[in-house]
Amino acid sequence: MTTTLNAPPAAKPRLTLSQRLNHADAKYSPYVYVAPFFVLFGLVGLFPLVYTFVVSLNDWDLLKGQGDWVGFDNYIIELQDPWFWNSLGNTFSIFLLSAIPQLIGATFIAAILDQNLRAQTFWRLSVLLPYVVTPAAVALIFSSIFSEDYGLVNNILGSFGIDPVLWKHDTLPGHLAIATMVNWRWTGYNALILLAAMQAVPTDIYESAALDGAGAFRRFFSITLPSIRPTFIFVLITATIGGLQIFTEPKLFDATRATPGGAYHQFETTTLYIWNMAFNQDRFGRASAIAFILLIIIVLIGLVNYYLSKGIASSETKIAKRSAARRLLRYRSRKSIPFVAENQLERRP
Amino acid sequence: MNFSRRTAAVAAIAGTASLALVLSGCASDGDNGGSSDEPITLTITTFGTMGLDGLYAQYEKDHPNITIKATNIDTGGNALTDWKTKQASGGLPDVQAVEEGWLGSVMEVSDTFTDLRDYGADDIKGNWVDWKVQQATDSDGRIIGYGTDIGPEGLCYNGKLFEAAGLPSDRDAVAELFGGSSATWDKFFEVGKQYHDASGKAFYDQSGFLWNAFVNQQDEGYYTADGELNVEGNSTLKNFWLQLADAQQAGLSANQAQWDWGKGQAFVDGTFSVFVCPGWMLGVVKGNTEAAGGDASTGWDFADVFPGGASNWGGSFLTVPTSSKHPKEAAALAEWLTAAQQQVAAFQAAGTFPSNIEAQSDPGVTGPNDLGAFFNDAPVGEILGSRAQGVTAQFKGPDDAIIQEQVFGPPRTALDAGEADGETTWNQAIELLNQLVG
Repeated sequence: MTTTLNAPPAAKPRLTLSQRLNHADAKYSPYVYVAPFFVLFGLVGLFPLVYTFVVSLNDWDLLKGQGDWVGFDNYIIELQDPWFWNSLGNTFSIFLLSAIPQLIGATFIAAILDQNLRAQTFWRLSVLLPYVVTPAAVALIFSSIFSEDYGLVNNILGSFGIDPVLWKHDTLPGHLAIATMVNWRWTGYNALILLAAMQAVPTDIYESAALDGAGAFRRFFSITLPSIRPTFIFVLITATIGGLQIFTEPKLFDATRATPGGAYHQFETTTLYIWNMAFNQDRFGRASAIAFILLIIIVLIGLVNYYLSKGIASSETKIAKRSAARRLLRYRSRKSIPFVAENQLERRP
Repeated sequence: MNFSRRTAAVAAIAGTASLALVLSGCASDGDNGGSSDEPITLTITTFGTMGLDGLYAQYEKDHPNITIKATNIDTGGNALTDWKTKQASGGLPDVQAVEEGWLGSVMEVSDTFTDLRDYGADDIKGNWVDWKVQQATDSDGRIIGYGTDIGPEGLCYNGKLFEAAGLPSDRDAVAELFGGSSATWDKFFEVGKQYHDASGKAFYDQSGFLWNAFVNQQDEGYYTADGELNVEGNSTLKNFWLQLADAQQAGLSANQAQWDWGKGQAFVDGTFSVFVCPGWMLGVVKGNTEAAGGDASTGWDFADVFPGGASNWGGSFLTVPTSSKHPKEAAALAEWLTAAQQQVAAFQAAGTFPSNIEAQSDPGVTGPNDLGAFFNDAPVGEILGSRAQGVTAQFKGPDDAIIQEQVFGPPRTALDAGEADGETTWNQAIELLNQLVG
């Protein structure tokens, strides 16, 4: 006690080296643990993004490198470029043609897999099989199937006396053929994600619905679909991002042609247009500008999706709470009738 | 607490180590060789069927200190993308093959290629046909590439189909039929109509290759010799375009997919009967026919004639990018690969006709070979030598490849499909030209 009192008041007890290290450890090591991700993200995520933006502000030639600083001229040129809008139209057309049937198909496949099937694992794995095949191989196979003069589809159509469809020449058939490739590859993948969500739906809701006399279809539409809505929106967002970035399928669909995306650019998607602008026309600045515009479009669509899903999710929980309360009330009241009756019976003399 | 401190240290060390790994990863494979005895690895990138693959082992055997790491890219188009990407970002090989069609782009950045005169190009430039050396010389007089093959064009034709249509099938008689040494495109289309009337079939596969041949044989193509765009208002080109439209109207074009031909099927089933053939194309015809199950009996032959006179399509150069760490050794390799004996070997392997004068008359080129056997025993080397007479270099502008493929490609497809007439499609081309090149 006396020694403490005698000590000079200003001198705090000196920390030993190990104490200081301990202190630093507690304070800084969490940052070291998370650093690899941020370093990696900075290197491969943020840097290219910023660099692309810088390139897009210059009259950058692929071979000759940085040219004059042109500000936002590249953006203005692109927004007035008919080929840019053509590519955007193609992208959305192929996206809609693939996303809609894909999600409907995936939902129903998931619903079927959600039943008590024999050899469940086998069926679940087999829907994922197309996803394992590389897009390049898919594109090559489908481009033969949809070949105009010698392809499988036109041969089959021909045997029914139907005129051959010009898959690589007409716009809509081309979009359909490419959407088919996308669907073939992604339907099973989405089905598995939706299946996981379906399996998380509590079974007692189904049981009570069944007790209420709801048939299988009613149960699917009134319970399964509303319950998996958040997952469904997640699948929708990933499908949107993937759909707006589609590249390999249209690139390889008509692989022998030097102009990417068909003779008249009729299935040239925006990413293909970026590629063509950068590597065929050497206009790196303009290509970067298109890439940035595409990024903004994707972010905008992502935001819309986010707010939609937030709105739906919150109203959904409200509805769910309300309907659960109602159901509970109904259940209790129904249960209480015979209970009361029983009591009454008992009370009866 | 001791335990935690150790983990922190381990984490810090691991973090630094992995960062160091990342940083050193790029530098670790560089070998700073100086003297010629040190082991040296030379990288080389080629494309398509250049016929060089068999030669590397020989060179390694003669130069024990040199290891060759070769990359061959399947098509010229993919190779062009590969080159452009690496030109922009670094990572070019020691020896880079470039194609004649890219020369416009290459010459824009010719200072990034080693001037081969520093390694004795002046002493040996007489080995090649002079226009080939001229092509590889930039505006400052630097020689940036050694010529490999050239692409003199002859006519491939299907003797059996000709015979069936009542035309001569013998290769000399066919050459005469098209007008021999004074063959013209008018005569070509005239024979085509004759063939179509007799057989009811299309004459050529699609008009793109004819257009290409025509443009290439003009003194000035899409650009004038002093580098001005030369398309709009070019009556020579437009007249030929209208001629192609007429021929399509008359049913001469089979409207085939370029470079596909139904996976070669159209070469076997008689869909068309003539085909423009630079030397390297002979291998393509053979390959496609065989891919579709055909062989020499399918009837393809090769005639010593070409409409409109001499025409060259394609041909490549071996260059040494300045980024090479061993420019001296790389230049020596490029020189050896393009020397007479090696060009003869490449011709025998792939049908690429030598640009080396001595090799052109070598018995290995002029004599019989496998390729000739497929073409009804045609003396292909001799014919190509004769077709090479009078070929000259045409100035290729920076956007030559875009004009060829993206400006004239779509209207040409519309033309072949019979969707629009010559005048409309020509205007489409001019519109595209103004959008894409300008």
